[in-house]
Amino acid sequence: MKLPFRRDRVEAELDAEVEAFYQTMVDRYIERGLTEPEARRLARLKFDPPELAKEAVRDARTGAAFTSLARDVRYALRSVRKAPAFAAVTIVTLALGIAANATIFSMVSRFVLRPPPVGDPATLLSLHTTHQGDQCCNNFSWPLFADVREQAKSFSGVAAYYELVPASIGGTGEPERVWGQAVTANFFDVAELGMAAGRGFTADEENLPVVVLSHRLWQRRFGADPAIAGKTITLSGRPFTVAGVAPPSFRGVDLILDCQFWVPLGTLDQLLPNTSNRESRLYHWIAVVGRLRPGVTRAAAAAELDVLAARLAQAHPESEKGGGFIFESAGSIPPREKSSALIFLAAVTLVALLVLAIACANVANMFLAQAAGRKREMAVRLALGATHRHLLHQMLTESVLIALGGGLVGVALSFWATQALAAFRLPAPVPLDLSVSVDWRVLFYAFLLSVAAGILFGLAPAWAVTRSTIGAGRMWSLRNVLVVCQVAMSLVLLCSTGLFLRSLENASQIDIGFRSSGILMMAVDPRLHGYAPARTTQFLDELQQRVAALPGVASAAYTDSVPLSGGHRSDGFHIVGQSSSPINVELYMVGPGYFETIGTPRIAGRDFANESPAGPKMAIVNEAFAERLFPNQNPIGQRVTGGGRTYQVIGVVKNIKSRFLGEDFRPVLYRSLAQDIAGDPSFEGYSVLLRFTRAPGPLAGAVRREIHSLDPTLAIFNSATMEEHLRDALFLPRLAGALFGVFGFLGLALAAVGLYGAMNYWVSRRTREIGIRLALGAQIGSIQRLIIRQGMALTAVAIAPGLAAAWALAKLFTSILYGVPPHDLAIFTVVPLFLAAVAFLACWLPSRRAASAEPLIALRHE
Amino acid sequence: MAKPAEVLQGTLDLLVLRTLECGPLHGVGISDRIEQVTRGVFVVGPGSLFPALHRLAEKGWISGDWTETENKRRVKTYTLTASGRAHLTAEKRNWKKIFTAMNRVLAEEPGA
Repeated sequence: MKLPFRRDRVEAELDAEVEAFYQTMVDRYIERGLTEPEARRLARLKFDPPELAKEAVRDARTGAAFTSLARDVRYALRSVRKAPAFAAVTIVTLALGIAANATIFSMVSRFVLRPPPVGDPATLLSLHTTHQGDQCCNNFSWPLFADVREQAKSFSGVAAYYELVPASIGGTGEPERVWGQAVTANFFDVAELGMAAGRGFTADEENLPVVVLSHRLWQRRFGADPAIAGKTITLSGRPFTVAGVAPPSFRGVDLILDCQFWVPLGTLDQLLPNTSNRESRLYHWIAVVGRLRPGVTRAAAAAELDVLAARLAQAHPESEKGGGFIFESAGSIPPREKSSALIFLAAVTLVALLVLAIACANVANMFLAQAAGRKREMAVRLALGATHRHLLHQMLTESVLIALGGGLVGVALSFWATQALAAFRLPAPVPLDLSVSVDWRVLFYAFLLSVAAGILFGLAPAWAVTRSTIGAGRMWSLRNVLVVCQVAMSLVLLCSTGLFLRSLENASQIDIGFRSSGILMMAVDPRLHGYAPARTTQFLDELQQRVAALPGVASAAYTDSVPLSGGHRSDGFHIVGQSSSPINVELYMVGPGYFETIGTPRIAGRDFANESPAGPKMAIVNEAFAERLFPNQNPIGQRVTGGGRTYQVIGVVKNIKSRFLGEDFRPVLYRSLAQDIAGDPSFEGYSVLLRFTRAPGPLAGAVRREIHSLDPTLAIFNSATMEEHLRDALFLPRLAGALFGVFGFLGLALAAVGLYGAMNYWVSRRTREIGIRLALGAQIGSIQRLIIRQGMALTAVAIAPGLAAAWALAKLFTSILYGVPPHDLAIFTVVPLFLAAVAFLACWLPSRRAASAEPLIALRHE
Repeated sequence: MAKPAEVLQGTLDLLVLRTLECGPLHGVGISDRIEQVTRGVFVVGPGSLFPALHRLAEKGWISGDWTETENKRRVKTYTLTASGRAHLTAEKRNWKKIFTAMNRVLAEEPGA
């Protein structure tokens, strides 16, 4: 380390000055008749040692704190160079702990802290409606949005958007289905987005076919054409004029949906024909954002909205009675998912901190062991005039330096880990952007953690060294306390890991109610290509026949949504003629042969058989539906109604998991696709499923060819085997299992190394004692037993608090575990035993070393 | 040997400034002079003298220059600056005030 020139000069001058002082004294004693050595001795006896004088001057100087820090850093770097292996081991240990935290924090940063990429994110609010008695919130109806836009004075602008619009996009290459949003013309003005090219929408474009492209789509499909504004592109076969390109970071206001284009709301009918009545006050379908007027506080805005809600409830009691508004910063986690997302993040943050704490305890122990060897060095420095404070500062500088090194390596590791996280995809039919990365907030957090960790693990050994009280034999020495903490913390980690691994195992063995393998699926959305409902049905029928005829295909069918896609459509149902409160029912549309293909057994009635679109509507229900609506009755032939349509039940099938793996079986009603496609079309396209008996690889290509031979312009999406689909459905248990698996293994490895190190150190400190015992005739076995007993005593002491903490933590996990009670007895018995076994091994190795010692050599030791 | 803590910091600064009022001196000279004048009550070793000298130099009250002694030894000689002189005058007045006040307090012996 090079120090500033000025300091070197000042330092040299100080040396000369102090030296001259002593020299003058020596001269004087020589003049009085002493010999030179005597004079020198007297000068040193009479006055403070020169080093102390210099040190006192350095402390007195302005900027002393800085220069002494520089000196400490230089000294620390020298110690690191002297023991590179020690530095490497401590840095890697800490790096693992920091990496775990940085990676988890990158999720926190992405989903909780990051503001949306809009102008002045602090004043952009997402508005929701609430309804008395409802858990949370809903979208706005169009009239309600208009009321707020016209009447709320707290906002300088209020914009609305329809969250997801699919469209197939033309241009070069194979047609592709992309997702976008339909927005009010003021959307880009309210969001205050700086466009990458062109402009947003103007007020008179509310109904014109214009489009804003995402930066990615612009680059990917249009070669980043700088003159794109004003050109015409086709969306679902209709011409749209490009108005501009959104900035690169913008994918929508809410930060989770991954949108690629924006069109004015007035054009929604062209892209999504025949949807429900958008003017109705009962149809809540648009999301709303508002820009706070400058100077208006959130409390004032909330108060105004409360007044507005009361006024609207009076004016429109049939729809707005009991209604209200809430808002939050735009870009927050949607209120509905907020609590479970926060619990998950809090739990993994806690666990990551635990890993870091174990790593810190380990490094503290290593420093303690090293400090024992440095007692001499410290004693020499104290004798040379360094104060205790100096040594403390310097040792802390050393540990913080090591911690910063660990932080640096840890951040590098977490760059890699965040990329590995990207492999986890949430099961959803819509595009989600869940990518996490290491941003400046993560770097800052990692830096703070490193410094805190450095001070934490540095303080104990520094204190011990400068006080020269390094206990070796006592039960409650600092080292032993650290080991006990480590073992206890790793027990907490291992119990959590055990729970999540069992949860993953259970989740993958859950009876989903349909075939989990041997099925290939592929989706198309003919509606986007202008197909009328009847033509879509005809297309799907023909595709089904062609695909079923392919070699290696046992059967084929089609549906509007594959189960376990995270939720599709549902409605309230009740028996015709009864006014009992409706039950919530999952809705699917299927064609003939669906149950046979997907492997859900039919237990009563018949399958669909080419029902006429105009005929009476038929439905097949699952057992859960039958049990809820027709307990102890035969449901076949009964009539049920929901969503404004009435169905006659013609069959009953076994239950399936509909939205998520972890759910209890929900009531499901299957409708005939041919009958309902006109009245209630799917927004997510239609999937063809086929059960294969041969390798699916070449089959996928064959199915693609069949689709394109029917219509070469159709975009194909969500092509997957059932195994792949289920892997995505296992998102949460897999993510939790992987995170906790990694953390648990890290914690166990660190704690085992810590225990081994502690016992090894203990053995080496007591080699002499062991030698005496052996010389006096102690049996080797008894020596070994003594050491193992010591180590196991520490482990036993650690297990009680560890189990208690694990027990408490497990309660927090209840909502994210699959089929495992949080206080699973097997886990809480097996894990401590396993840990004890590892601890035994960690004690047994050093004990063997002690037992194999020759008494004489052991006695001469030290 | 006077430990820094035993001489009030302000006192030491005042001692040094006052010593330099009579003319430039180097470190040993200052130390000797203080010992002589106080008849051995204050012995200022380098551990407290040098920090005081550097502190005063940083405040601009004294300035140090390298000179040669009669023994041809290079030493740093300190001189009182104009602002140091002004500060000394103020400090002297201040000290006298404290001194008189302290004496008054100590003169009121109980029962006297």
